[in-house]
Amino acid sequence: MRRVVVTGAGVVSSLGDSLDALHSALCRGHNAIRPVELFPTETLACPLGGEIKGFDAQKYLGKRNLRPLDRTSRLLASAAQLALDASGWTAEMRGNQEVGLILGTMSSSVRNESEFDSSALEAEPAYAAAKQTAILHNLRGINTTISTGNSSGLKAIAHATDLIRSGRARSLLAGGADGLCLDSFYGFDCAGLLCRSEHEPGDFPIPFDARRNGLALGEGAALLMLEDAELAKERGARALAEIKGHGCAYNRSPGSEESSVQSVASSMRRALDDAGMVPSEIQCLSASANGSPKGDRHEAQAFVVTFNGNSHRLPVTAIKSMLGETLGASGPIQALDLLETMRDGVLPGTINVAEAEDDFPFPWVSTVRRKIDPLNGLVNSVGFDGHCCSLILARGVESPG
Amino acid sequence: MKQRRIVVTGIGVVTPIGTGRELFWNNLLEGRSGIRPVQSFDTSAYGVHRGAEVHDFRPENYLSNLDAAHLGRASQFAIAAARLALADANVEIASLDLKRAGVSMGTTSGEPREVERFDDLFINKQLDRVGPEFLKLYPTHVIAAHIARELQFAGVNIMIPTACAAGNYAIAHAFDVLRSGRADLMLAGGSDSFSRITFTGFAQLGAIAPETCQPFDRYRKGMIPGEGAGVLVLEPLASALRRGARVYGEIGGYGLSCDAHHMTAAHPNGDGAVRAMTQALDQSGTRPEEVSYISAHGTGTSTNDRLETLAVKRLFKDAAYRIPMSSIKSMLGHTMGAASAIEAAVCALAVFHDRIPPTINLEEPDPDCDLDYVPNSARQHTVQVAMNNAYAFGGNNASLVLRKCEV
Repeated sequence: MRRVVVTGAGVVSSLGDSLDALHSALCRGHNAIRPVELFPTETLACPLGGEIKGFDAQKYLGKRNLRPLDRTSRLLASAAQLALDASGWTAEMRGNQEVGLILGTMSSSVRNESEFDSSALEAEPAYAAAKQTAILHNLRGINTTISTGNSSGLKAIAHATDLIRSGRARSLLAGGADGLCLDSFYGFDCAGLLCRSEHEPGDFPIPFDARRNGLALGEGAALLMLEDAELAKERGARALAEIKGHGCAYNRSPGSEESSVQSVASSMRRALDDAGMVPSEIQCLSASANGSPKGDRHEAQAFVVTFNGNSHRLPVTAIKSMLGETLGASGPIQALDLLETMRDGVLPGTINVAEAEDDFPFPWVSTVRRKIDPLNGLVNSVGFDGHCCSLILARGVESPG
Repeated sequence: MKQRRIVVTGIGVVTPIGTGRELFWNNLLEGRSGIRPVQSFDTSAYGVHRGAEVHDFRPENYLSNLDAAHLGRASQFAIAAARLALADANVEIASLDLKRAGVSMGTTSGEPREVERFDDLFINKQLDRVGPEFLKLYPTHVIAAHIARELQFAGVNIMIPTACAAGNYAIAHAFDVLRSGRADLMLAGGSDSFSRITFTGFAQLGAIAPETCQPFDRYRKGMIPGEGAGVLVLEPLASALRRGARVYGEIGGYGLSCDAHHMTAAHPNGDGAVRAMTQALDQSGTRPEEVSYISAHGTGTSTNDRLETLAVKRLFKDAAYRIPMSSIKSMLGHTMGAASAIEAAVCALAVFHDRIPPTINLEEPDPDCDLDYVPNSARQHTVQVAMNNAYAFGGNNASLVLRKCEV
């Protein structure tokens, strides 16, 4: 089986548009959750979100015709440009060799106006973002969109990993993107999943805290350039990390606590099995926890099940406390920040946490950054909709194999 | 290690010409059309008025655990097709290890009717009426999730919304999942419901034919939007043999490519289509001249049919003229995300029965479309290897190879 390495990454987020900027903002505990300005929110219970203020795709893509691209497509195309630059895939190389794109996104309707026009089929459906990006960047390889809620992005990375492992593809951009969109925002708000803050912005959301009462939606795009390790080495590319394994599970009975915990645990267990690792080899964990009352608890319980009583010693961070729930982009942003943690040895804290819940299975979360020295890290995505996905990354090695 | 061989053992379809494998296949071979005046919504504001809708569909017949009132139409179709496929495969759900039973589905528009409802509220300034259920009804991924919840499948669950080629993508993904041993059984296919959104999009592009769908005909006038679902039961050959299952055919391999050319126009040389077909042949170890049937994307638009013909001729050379290639969209219309899944089912049936469904409404040959399109009547023909081609807006190309299963 071929090994899969990360040779570059690109991110556009509410806390920065480079790995470095994002990581240092997270490590300093910056909170991007503010009143949303993209669309009216008067009738909503939660007007807060992690919006990317002043986002302008031309900054990354130059003066090209971006009119047919909706917000998600623009975020994605921008992150793709950054990831291609970072990994050294020039336009000329892309002309000679196929680079593909595996995108995870939740949004299936990203329009702010509901009037139909002739571009309806170009801009609206969930698949449009990946295709628009392929056209802009001449990505002629496999082009697949995966949509499984907030686990979409990690599932895209997992799928891309399998395609490279089996030799179906050699170089794939993989990750996720979701722009804040009116439809989703109303959907989450009306379902009662968004946090209700009686305080100033900046206090919510609070993953793992006793006062948590919902998530805040965010937005962003993050892509990893994944390549066959041997071929990356041949072209002289630097391996930032290796994808060691992945796993997923589906919670068919979302109402049952046991089933919910089991599915998160199964997802992590399958990733460990796929990586050929035992739990003690995981030295840090980027949690999916986003402030949702049940989801955070289930994930924490799954840590206890999976890490055999050692979970309290495992450094865990929940960066959605600062970025909000960026849906399809969330897992890839976590993965990308974990690359930074592996590079500089600093794990961001989980901000706002102050009150531990009685009988909470996992009381120990640091609110501030920590120095650690991890070789392997695990990233979780746990959906409100039953989807779970886990990914294991290992620190980059100069000469894989 | 020898690669696991993956076979098709069950077929479930919900289509404008019939629900269930037998009725569908008989109507297909008889050349029946499902194209009628649109009933789902008022089309008086449009210049075109015909579509291929599923009539008399009763979701409650297929639901034991979920309530039809809380499911969008595409989810309802998908669950029905999934149940039909399992029954066709003679699989008892109780006999499965549900943690290793998965779902991989494709779609173009997800649950568009739920999005339309939201749009109407938005336009009428009634967003306060959206309601708590919206989030459980509209996201694209609910289709695969609803199948899993209805059947209690806890294995791999994935939704691939790569539009009009999505069914092939979903089947290809399930094939990889089974080959790598991540599941014992996969339900794979696609589902889409007829919608104002899709109809409007294609109408605005001028792509919808006024009367009917005539793929490869000289005077073809466009596509006809349709709806439906197709689901296959896929499992390793060893498990099919162990339980004495009927095997329709074996998945040989697939090819995927992207034109990266234009959002709604295909590459002028069919470059991406050729790359996808080539990969599918390579992966399945098939020589071009061994292909005995091609299920065409064949939408009935002027460009698609011409470019598809060109791509097949570029790859298959002289053999192209000897390989029958038909488009069932002449009868079903374009069922969007379900199309290539239903067409994959047709390939499996063609391989199993050695019968090829026709391209109906093909009266006047087009000089640019000069292959054997099996005009107007079904044909008896030994189908050793079938290739299923699907192309989507944005230039997503997916080819799937199915062949007779030799044990």
